[in-house]
Amino acid sequence: MVEKQNVKSLGIPKNDFLAHVRRSLGRSDRLDPSPPYHRLAEDLAVLEEHAAEIRRRLEDKRSHLLDQFAETARLRSWNLFRTTNAEDAVGYAVELARNHSISQIARSDQSVFSELPLDSALQSSGIECVTVLQDEASSRERLRSQIIESGLGMTGADYAVAETGSVVVVPRRGLSRLVSLVPPVHLAIVRIEDLVESLDDVFLLRRLEYYRNGEEMGSYLNFITGPSRTADIEMKLVVGVHGPKEVHLILLG
Amino acid sequence: MTQPTQVHASLFVTCIVDQLYPQVGVSVVNVLRRNGVIVDFPGEQTCCGQPLFNSGYTQLARQLSRRVIDSFTLSDYVVVPSGSCAAMLKVFYRELFSGDPDYGEKAEQLSEKVYEFSEFLVKVLGISDTGSYFPAKATYHSSCHLLREMEVRQEPVNLLGQVDGLELCPLPQAETCCGFGGTFSVKYPHISEGMMEDKIANVLATGADTLVACDMSCLIHIDGGLSRQGQSMNIRHIAEVLDGAEGSGGEGNG
Amino acid sequence: MAEVKTQDFVAASGAAIEDATLQRALRQVGGGFNEARLEAIEEVSWEAWEQWREEARRIKVHALEHLDYYLELLYEQVTKAGGQVHFARDAAQANAIVAEIAQARGVKVATKSKSMVSEELDLNKTLESVGVDVFETDLGEYIIQLAEETPSHLVAPALHKTKEQVSELFHEKLGVPLTDDIEEMARVAREALRSRFLAADLGISGANFLVAETGTLVIITNEGNGRLCTSAPKIHIGITGMEKVIPSLQDLSIFLRLLPRSATGQRLTSYVSMVTGPRRNEDEDGPEEFHLVLVDNGRSRLLADPELREALYCIRCGACLNICPVYGKIGGHAYGWVYPGPIGAIVSPALVGLKDAKDLPHASSLCGACREVCPIKINIPRMLLHLRHRLAESPSDAENSSTLIERQAAKGYTWLMSNPAALSAASKVGRMVQKPFSSEGKVAKKVSLPLVSQWTAARDLPTLARRSFRQIWADELEGESETRG
Repeated sequence: MVEKQNVKSLGIPKNDFLAHVRRSLGRSDRLDPSPPYHRLAEDLAVLEEHAAEIRRRLEDKRSHLLDQFAETARLRSWNLFRTTNAEDAVGYAVELARNHSISQIARSDQSVFSELPLDSALQSSGIECVTVLQDEASSRERLRSQIIESGLGMTGADYAVAETGSVVVVPRRGLSRLVSLVPPVHLAIVRIEDLVESLDDVFLLRRLEYYRNGEEMGSYLNFITGPSRTADIEMKLVVGVHGPKEVHLILLG
Repeated sequence: MTQPTQVHASLFVTCIVDQLYPQVGVSVVNVLRRNGVIVDFPGEQTCCGQPLFNSGYTQLARQLSRRVIDSFTLSDYVVVPSGSCAAMLKVFYRELFSGDPDYGEKAEQLSEKVYEFSEFLVKVLGISDTGSYFPAKATYHSSCHLLREMEVRQEPVNLLGQVDGLELCPLPQAETCCGFGGTFSVKYPHISEGMMEDKIANVLATGADTLVACDMSCLIHIDGGLSRQGQSMNIRHIAEVLDGAEGSGGEGNG
Repeated sequence: MAEVKTQDFVAASGAAIEDATLQRALRQVGGGFNEARLEAIEEVSWEAWEQWREEARRIKVHALEHLDYYLELLYEQVTKAGGQVHFARDAAQANAIVAEIAQARGVKVATKSKSMVSEELDLNKTLESVGVDVFETDLGEYIIQLAEETPSHLVAPALHKTKEQVSELFHEKLGVPLTDDIEEMARVAREALRSRFLAADLGISGANFLVAETGTLVIITNEGNGRLCTSAPKIHIGITGMEKVIPSLQDLSIFLRLLPRSATGQRLTSYVSMVTGPRRNEDEDGPEEFHLVLVDNGRSRLLADPELREALYCIRCGACLNICPVYGKIGGHAYGWVYPGPIGAIVSPALVGLKDAKDLPHASSLCGACREVCPIKINIPRMLLHLRHRLAESPSDAENSSTLIERQAAKGYTWLMSNPAALSAASKVGRMVQKPFSSEGKVAKKVSLPLVSQWTAARDLPTLARRSFRQIWADELEGESETRG
């Protein structure tokens, strides 16, 4: 990684800008919200408590939520495969690659893949699977071109959201931003323990992580809800523009 | 407090009905009287000021509005055969005089008393069927201020649905503006005309022979376009339909 | 700043009505967006929808009331995450900031995802002037850029173009064969832009929301270009209006429910991407630098005016455009600046100057449909009335654009209507005068009087009744005060 250039703030100084905002609001001094905004007043203990409630609720409603997620995901044009069996999941992935005559796959380095005998199954079918993980041997540029050459990108999910049929992916070490985006087909593998009910659940759990990690959000977070699409010409839906045209989802559990 | 045995209501007739369609005012009075209402007509009333208000002449609008407010201080109810003028009295006067030491309170009081004609029949008189007879194949245009300022949606439709002899055809895109918009229609006649043409196409598509509305202003506009296109279509204010007298007040215009 | 043509509204809207191709494009779109919106709302129930709208509005009211506080918090959090925040008072300053970042790092190629603020600033022109090749990557924006036009809709920038026009444009500019297959057109754009994404040193995005709590920039997209712009290049610059800040990460759920449903009827867009600073050391990829440029450019004028502040609650969903019968007739370009439709008729006057945009607040029948569909319950008609009031009666010459004739007419009308005797005398005169000019209850077309001829250009005008209601009341009705059975 290149050394960051130390750029000072450009434009007008922050304090001048904020003073002008204040004047527009009809006051000369900073006025903090009083009482503080309810959500920002929640401390770690409160968030832990909320999170515990969420987990209890998810546990209670698990089977209902699985059905709900399957339904919303289908509506958002995911090709959904639901199984409790690791072998079947692997079989689905291999079949998918074969059907598209894909010779190279890029996958993330997430724990879900250690539970599935996927790499060996692909290998024995003559399909190369690149794990996108930077180390001494693989430079960033090389990994990037391998992603571009891949016909299929495979990732796990940090969360899956029953309300919206979304898969939430938080890029980090072992999870490139591009694996779920650049190849024309994306396969996401969702474990039942990653399933949450609503957007509110996701954001609360993220906030808890944020405060637990000393106010560190991580650089990126993506909700993926079906394939890439556009309706920019005459409002006619076209699937697959800059992102995957086809998206698959294995729901494990 | 005892409930008065008879309902007293004052008519705010609106300029358009007064000058161009007086038969509508007559029908309003007929229907109200037939339903036991004691109707009066305060002669001091003039324009509600909406043309000025909508053009930005707020101060001048206030001048006229004070006059209208004063005309109805003694009224129990004010009945208006127009959703748009009713909205002016009920909704916009409150805003015009918000915080005004003399008229703020009066505007609030007036606001409580104002009803659009069909709304008055349903909400105050509790009528669901006026027992009217009006043989026609009709469609109903809901005017924008009636819908979105007065929040009167179903009342006129329900009343029309009970009229004997009247076949009510649903109007496609019923809640889209006809393009009148008061001063808008003369400030941007080309846009107004475009909107009107869409409305007319929808009206004609129903196959109705009569177009009913609660606002003569929209009807003037739509009828003006229909007549220019050489289409023959009866236009009727809802009061005329409920008065059960096709072509009543038949003095005509001109 | 983008070129201001709001002064030409009257001519431009007239031309739009006469433009057969535009009319065809507008008809094709028709109520499509709105039907999808209604369907998406019905799925969750109107009751839930109302609650969401109320809550979203509460959040916006609070955030704008404490905008200085939340901007400060946002600044701190973005900075802590390793990003840089820059403040721009106006368009020139915002453009200079981006140009300076680009020049200091020798940027040659930039890719952009859709951003209305960058349209407002005319940022591409500035970047091109410092030697940067800028590529719009949203399909609609790409079409517009190739055609050297401006967007005509907040959500669908090329809405005014038919597929035939797009095909001809691609044929001419990209040398591809003509086609009537929209899917093929999307493929052409994908191919043309893929190499640009990979070559770009700089990615530019707008922001739908900025989360103060975590210092996060949120973009909501469908095509995937936004993800590429914010992931592939070495530098990411987010540029947006200062009003986009919301307090907490958790506030997002409500806006993510409202915005896509209101915009396109989608339950959620294909992608919601959230950027918090540059890539961390351990990340596999992502930009090495993240800059956030916060722009005022006239927004503080809206903030300062209690009658207009709520215009800043706008989340740019475009629902008010889709429902507006005026927009539906004239399209977006006639409005003469970046923000079209009902919300544009408020935002543009504030940002370009009321007098230069004096026709926009009048370009509405005040039907109120915009307010009804607005997910934040912004009272657009009331703000239009307020702007009309300032145009007509403001004591400031900088705002008042009423003519002497208009003022006299308004005063004359007020006088006449305040004097019932004068009014009935005038209507008597009217009845006599109209006789030779009318037939069958309508005024003849050829009468040329101001207002009358504006009206009769397209419609017939009824003549005055023989007797006014007032007269009929006095003659026949007044005595009958007893009720009839």
